[in-house]
Amino acid sequence: MKILTTVKKVVDVELNIHLKDGAIVEDGLQYVINAWDENAVEAAVLIKENRNAETTLVSIGGGDNTDIIRKCYAMGIDSGIHIDDPALDKADSTIFAKILQKVFEKGAYDLVITGKQAQDTDSGQTGIILAEYLGLPCVSNVIAIEVMDDQHIKVSRLGDAGTEIVELELPAVVTVSDSINVPRLPQMRGLMMAKKKAINVMDLAALGTSRDEVGGATPKSEIVEFIASKTRKAGQKYEGNAAEITARVVDLLANEAKVL
Amino acid sequence: MAKILVIADIKQGVLKGSTAELLSKAKSIGAETAVVAIGCNIDSLIPGMVNAGSDTPYIADDPGLELFSAGPYASCVVDAARQFGANLIWFGFSESGKAVAPRVAAQLNAACATEITDVMISGDQIEVIRPAIANKVMQRVKVNTEILVAVVRAGAFEATEGITGTQNVVKLSPPAPDLKAVIKKLLSDASGEIDLADADIVVSVGRGAKDQAGVDLVKELANDLKAGFGSSRAMVDGGFMAHNKQVGQTGKIVAPTLYVAIGISGAIQHLAGMNGSKVILAVNKDPEAPIFNVADYGIVGDLFEVVPILREEIKKIRR
Repeated sequence: MKILTTVKKVVDVELNIHLKDGAIVEDGLQYVINAWDENAVEAAVLIKENRNAETTLVSIGGGDNTDIIRKCYAMGIDSGIHIDDPALDKADSTIFAKILQKVFEKGAYDLVITGKQAQDTDSGQTGIILAEYLGLPCVSNVIAIEVMDDQHIKVSRLGDAGTEIVELELPAVVTVSDSINVPRLPQMRGLMMAKKKAINVMDLAALGTSRDEVGGATPKSEIVEFIASKTRKAGQKYEGNAAEITARVVDLLANEAKVL
Repeated sequence: MAKILVIADIKQGVLKGSTAELLSKAKSIGAETAVVAIGCNIDSLIPGMVNAGSDTPYIADDPGLELFSAGPYASCVVDAARQFGANLIWFGFSESGKAVAPRVAAQLNAACATEITDVMISGDQIEVIRPAIANKVMQRVKVNTEILVAVVRAGAFEATEGITGTQNVVKLSPPAPDLKAVIKKLLSDASGEIDLADADIVVSVGRGAKDQAGVDLVKELANDLKAGFGSSRAMVDGGFMAHNKQVGQTGKIVAPTLYVAIGISGAIQHLAGMNGSKVILAVNKDPEAPIFNVADYGIVGDLFEVVPILREEIKKIRR
């Protein structure tokens, strides 16, 4: 079985984000692997450990992605493709999906596992649109994957009415929730070995496509500007005798905020 | 004129409030509106949709649509969108909406925006506002296609009273089933529980509750308030709360009138799921917990001491 996982380099959401003139100030930002993609990598490696599978990751954009790709190698991914091209500056989910379609078609994969969304955009579209472009079955927000045989997997999806159990015919695309697993921490030995492994870096031309073909010149949507989020102000915090302050807060909730 | 197709948010046979919220917003910007309702035995929901402001309810009612399946659901939406000539297609904030919207966008060659909090229409130009980076910033996004498919963030729009539509029902033909992704069964969430997405009050429990006894204590408070009962990531990972109870960037996004955070420190990922709440009450023994930076009212104290008092005091005023 050949498994493709996607790994995006994203801004670390734990750090403060500053804006200037409608743009994010780059200074002081740090970049990490998208947390949900780490779950996707872990899911792929677990399948590889339980049965024979070949695992490949693909990362699009981000400049120098060496560190995050090596981290995935240390977790157990076999090989990595990094597609970087200046033409991808304004890429939206559909453009990412077009590029992934090209990668998929070159590799004859059986299963694509992506994180359900990326921490920087929180869009949650790329994997699903990729499946549409490829005409493949797709289940999103997956919390368990079981390989039934070479042609079928069974997944659990967290849906609105409960947990949905879905059987998929391969090849297929699944997008995973962070509830699916706890990604392993790479060990020192793995990280040392990862340094020796090659990363297949290519631009769009090397992938056999072009900016026009992936729609890079005409994104379906584009960010005009970033705006500061409305921040909530800290309200009143009460310390002291529990009985007294709790009674007072309940009174305020009922008579001031009028929400009880 | 904008033509807005709203996807009816139906859960366990009930039309959810987000449908009226989206229709109200659509009417307020002068759009022609339609609703598409997908499911099985849902005729009884038509008057509700019309009362919420739908001019043309499209109904896809078929036994094959009883259980959610993203492919056939997307086919129904695309069918309705084409018949109606929609240029905006709005989903309420739900797992099915998030799964179907990108499919519809891909099939209609349209832009897709998730979690929008506002929309600006000027002539042919559509722009939306949406949060990014765990709600730390908002993006203003320009749409370059004729059609926009959007998932509207929970609590973004308000329902207004006294608007109605016209009952002009169009039946859709049932879509082909997805033979390559077959839903085998649905393990239903416990019935009788209050849906987090709809609840007026949400009480959530965090790491401070320590164990099952602590969780049960906080749940009593939720029961007293007839509130939805949610959780931080820590208590889900600890096995004390179900995955579908997790509030946050990765879980449920809620915007109730009152959000009560008990023993929750307030990690950025949790705040992203609840900071749209109208009023926030936090109980935490650490006075420096980040949750107090967003809470309107904060009680610094041990939840095991505070929660029983909270229950007593609430009973007094509600008596």
